[in-house]
Amino acid sequence: MSRDRIHSPRHDDEAHVRPLSADRVATDAGIAGIAGPAGTTSRGDGRVILHVDIDAFFAAIEQRLDPRLRGRPVIVGAGVIASCSYEARAFGLRAGMPLGEAKRLCPQALVLDGHAQVYRCFAEEIFARCREVAPQVETYLDEAYCDLTGTERLHRDLLEAARAMKRAILEATGLTVTCGIGPNRMLAKLVGKTVKPDGLARIEAADAEAFLLDRPIEQLAGVGHAHAGTLRSMNLRTIGDLRALPLEVLVALFGANGRLLHERCRGRDTAPVTEREIPLSISRETSFHRDTADRAELEGMLEYLTGRACRAARELGIRPRTVSVRLRYADGEGGERARSLGQPSDADPVVLELALDLLRRQFTRRVALHALGLTLSNFVRCDGEQGSLFDEREAGRRAALFRAFDRVRCAYGHGVLVSGRALHLRGRLEEDRHGFVLRTPSLTK
Amino acid sequence: MRHERIDEAIAVRADFRGGRVTPIAFQRRGREHRITRVNARWVDRSSRHPHFCFSVTVESGDVYQLQLRGADLVWWLDSVALEG
Repeated sequence: MSRDRIHSPRHDDEAHVRPLSADRVATDAGIAGIAGPAGTTSRGDGRVILHVDIDAFFAAIEQRLDPRLRGRPVIVGAGVIASCSYEARAFGLRAGMPLGEAKRLCPQALVLDGHAQVYRCFAEEIFARCREVAPQVETYLDEAYCDLTGTERLHRDLLEAARAMKRAILEATGLTVTCGIGPNRMLAKLVGKTVKPDGLARIEAADAEAFLLDRPIEQLAGVGHAHAGTLRSMNLRTIGDLRALPLEVLVALFGANGRLLHERCRGRDTAPVTEREIPLSISRETSFHRDTADRAELEGMLEYLTGRACRAARELGIRPRTVSVRLRYADGEGGERARSLGQPSDADPVVLELALDLLRRQFTRRVALHALGLTLSNFVRCDGEQGSLFDEREAGRRAALFRAFDRVRCAYGHGVLVSGRALHLRGRLEEDRHGFVLRTPSLTK
Repeated sequence: MRHERIDEAIAVRADFRGGRVTPIAFQRRGREHRITRVNARWVDRSSRHPHFCFSVTVESGDVYQLQLRGADLVWWLDSVALEG
């Protein structure tokens, strides 16, 4: 059963994070009426955001699938840790850590390649439960933001609604999630972090400033390793310290991101929760089982990744304008190049032509490649695009052909059709009905 | 722990009561494997028809992944997880 823990990040002062009664929620809504969207302050604008984070997602699923893994340190990833169980975290392991270092810290850890498709299925199951409590849900791979604004009369007690959702998720998937409720996305996520795993906490708008004051600078959204290093070198260690810097200084240091940091360190975040019908990007990437400089294998892999990415775009009814190819050499160096198509297109050969050109321009060193990836972005809807006047008939025939391919693959699996250069992967990679079994398939959306 | 892909159609004895399917035993290479525990179940909706997937532990302690394909109602043995 889920353990609902509603407690303060500073246990000596319960006022910073506390459960809200229904009438207090109503008070928050009242503030919105006064401040309005333009006057959004750390006191809140009447919004109520629920952040749902799946605890140790990939590792937790692996432990569900195989009971022999439960209670043992489990790592999912190749090259670096994509996710690790709480048993592994006790040894200091964390996501993003190189596997070599992880094995040194925890030699008994079990390293698994992972099952990306299974993770997606579980995530969709969890997000379906989120949509039962919130009208607007923005999902990522292992977390979701739910906009509960205006649902107070429906749910009456938002904490109880979140608690019921956690129970439903546990019952349906066997997984625990941590929930944070706050007046904006940033605070909801941050307060959730204080009660991980399997926790539930809420922060009121009025308590935001005090809550943020002593938190380490790294916890602020938008402060990564590089920014944190810069700020620490200036002896700025807490979010409260950051408030001392004027806006001009932050902008000079971090550009447009400085403006965001200036707002966020004061508990302000006006970013809406939006159902992203059109994703920002679709990526397909993998590392090779063995570093390779073989052009046939590289171009075969690029064609295969292009086919997968274009199929994903077609399924969503969108066409990319921009194609980028990312590569990493065996010595760790790498780069990424992007270029836009003349006309947005979801046809494999059109995207592939550009992708191959980007690969040839980038792959100039006499060093084998360790990883290769393709990203499609800058999408337009298929029905919202102005077609080319003279190529329309050809494009229509091509689109019909790829729709037929997609139907065949949908019925019999992606691997049933292998095209052109991707045939070079036959015999080098294992295959199943999902296609070639890649070493580290992209786990990102 | 390592996974070995199997990818073969199999005969499964299953319970369909209560509006949900639960595999009880399956036959592979002439041998029946009794399922002692369904560890997890999930639905893969990436294809036109759903695939009902299961992770199960059999009497020997091995963990298998199997699925019932919604399109043709064929049971499919995906993989086995081996210790070591």
